[in-house]
Amino acid sequence: MTSVSKILYIVLMVLIATANLSAQDVFAEQFNYAKRLYEEEKYFDAVTEFKRLLFFYEGDNYSFESNLLIGLSYKEAAKFSEAIQHFTLAELNSSTEYEVFESRIEIIKVNILRRTTQRAFALLDSLENDVRFRKNSEEINYWRGWAYIFSDDWKKAASYFSKLENCHQLSQICDSLDNDLYNPQLVKFLSIVPGAGQFYTGEYVSGLISIGWNVLWGYLTINAFMEDRVFDGLMVGTLLWWRFYSGNIQNAEKFAIEKNLKMTNLALRYLQNDYSGKKP
Amino acid sequence: MQNKLTIFLLSALFISSSFCQIEKLKWQKADVSYEKQIHDKKRNYSFESDNAGEFLAKSLANAYWFFISDVDGENCPFRPSCSSFLLQSAKETNIFQASLMFFDRFTRDMNLAKGHDHYPIVSSGHFYDPPHNYTLNQGRINYLPPSFIVDDE
Amino acid sequence: MRTILTIIFLIPLPVFSQSLAFDFHSPENIKKFADYLFCEGDYLRAIEQYDFLNQNLDNDTTEFKVMLGYSELGLFQKSNEIFKGVNHKSIFYPDAYLLSLKNKLLIEPQMIKDTSISSLDSFQLKSFCRLTTISMLYDDEFNIPEEKFISPFDEDERNSVLAFYDYKVEPKYKSPALAGVLSAIIPGSGKMYVSEWGDGITALVVTSLFAFLAYDNFNADHNTRAWIFTGLGAFFYAGNIYGSVASAQIFNARIDFEFNDGLKFFLKQRNYFLPEYDFCK
Repeated sequence: MTSVSKILYIVLMVLIATANLSAQDVFAEQFNYAKRLYEEEKYFDAVTEFKRLLFFYEGDNYSFESNLLIGLSYKEAAKFSEAIQHFTLAELNSSTEYEVFESRIEIIKVNILRRTTQRAFALLDSLENDVRFRKNSEEINYWRGWAYIFSDDWKKAASYFSKLENCHQLSQICDSLDNDLYNPQLVKFLSIVPGAGQFYTGEYVSGLISIGWNVLWGYLTINAFMEDRVFDGLMVGTLLWWRFYSGNIQNAEKFAIEKNLKMTNLALRYLQNDYSGKKP
Repeated sequence: MQNKLTIFLLSALFISSSFCQIEKLKWQKADVSYEKQIHDKKRNYSFESDNAGEFLAKSLANAYWFFISDVDGENCPFRPSCSSFLLQSAKETNIFQASLMFFDRFTRDMNLAKGHDHYPIVSSGHFYDPPHNYTLNQGRINYLPPSFIVDDE
Repeated sequence: MRTILTIIFLIPLPVFSQSLAFDFHSPENIKKFADYLFCEGDYLRAIEQYDFLNQNLDNDTTEFKVMLGYSELGLFQKSNEIFKGVNHKSIFYPDAYLLSLKNKLLIEPQMIKDTSISSLDSFQLKSFCRLTTISMLYDDEFNIPEEKFISPFDEDERNSVLAFYDYKVEPKYKSPALAGVLSAIIPGSGKMYVSEWGDGITALVVTSLFAFLAYDNFNADHNTRAWIFTGLGAFFYAGNIYGSVASAQIFNARIDFEFNDGLKFFLKQRNYFLPEYDFCK
């Protein structure tokens, strides 16, 4: 072969190779385009473009990542069932252990976020019992802690975060909140003495009103019995005194629950907006 | 093992897809809040009213809430509660008609079998019984079957 | 060596040749993708893709699918706006016409006054007749003989249709005035008349109890207490008369609700007598 034909041959081969590369680029470009839409928070359009790619591309190269990003798009729109559906598809199309773990964690995060924490715990158990993910035990514990936060069990949440690091920031937040929360059972117990539960929760006016009513109806009931007006005593005792006595317990418990809810929401708001670590 | 996992994932896929909804509108990013919803609405103790009757009803309700309702526990199974029902009735009609509506509501409250297949349920678990159904204006009645779940107001 | 190199370079060529020329946004590919989305039930995205086609690949099927898609999404008004642009000569015009009638009923339950069109085939004509006939039930001045009313319907549908007919001709309403009068005579009886047995018995017991307490206290010369019980009793008595009238009205509203709900369910089960279109075979 002459040198001219050699050169021609090389040029031809280079052209073919370039063509192959650019051909691949069509799908890669589509993937990047969809990903860019996702990054620009145009989630609806991102889903459309990922679906377009998955429809036309016959291979499996993009299946995992596209489904994962579709799932994340739906998650951003609070469409949790759709998100889980696509994270599951991502897991079905995963080719490495890392991909399986990543998609499963995303499913867990959605379950935490929508407070179906029992499901999150079941999935965390499945990861923990899987030998492939022994090395990921720290991350599993981390998300277990978050699952406990969303189940309102701040004490257990703190214990799981402290397994990661002694003074883990989340462990301290959870511990501190757990100490601040009122114990509704204790509040109910204190309310055996009318008004005490309300005083404990800082609701002094309600406590005083409660004491007032209980003293009044208690006096009238006892007085009626002492004067042998049994019917009056029974009526005032059951219809009024008992109503205000049990109401006093309910009232104190309600205050404790309300105040706990306020503190919990404050902590959750902080975690959502100011905590810089990984979040569901 | 692999087959079992695939079957599990496929069934999970089927279950999750059955909860998916048709996308009817082009959606955008939603604000997902970590916070828990607070169902208990704070009571409005203001005396704002449009007429004397409403002022009277509002004053009575305020006193009732402050001195009695708050400290005698959760007794009203309805939403709106009996005192709010009186207030809303006074707003929609007049103090005389509102009193009749209130006494009728009070009688229905005393019915021991009221929970049986009668009122729609509010998501908080109370019976939904709005005053606009009782103004004697047929056009204002919005009948809802007992199986209906009303969003918490 | 050169042969091997040539083979290595050429093998992927057929695989990628398709991709090399591949255009995601060519009209044909947009249509393919839109058809796929439509079959997946993702109507919103399907319509968006069909819209991209504009005039490029516009045809009767696409237009009808957009109309159908909007209807499936519950955007009935939008669906009927598409219908306005459907060509009378289109093969889908009769189907689109029937779909527009279904949309009309779903926008607002009302009697369909539209007339038949000549391009309807016998099956479509039957659908049209059934749809227009059943829509008469929504008319306030309903006045049609039973035989004529049920004639367009199949045997298996007639029992249900007849039940709706009876409901419309003779609704089982209760008289609010009678309920009030009954409760004025015997407290609670008006509530019982509208089947509110529990409320009726409670009203009877409560009113009687206050009446007794008032009577007893007057007898015992406890006049203050007696007047308090009299006042409370009077309010319960009057409240019960009022409540009985209100309960009869609510009872009637329930009758109307059940009628409309039942009719809606009946029509939905039968897809408003329209055929199921399958574009995904």
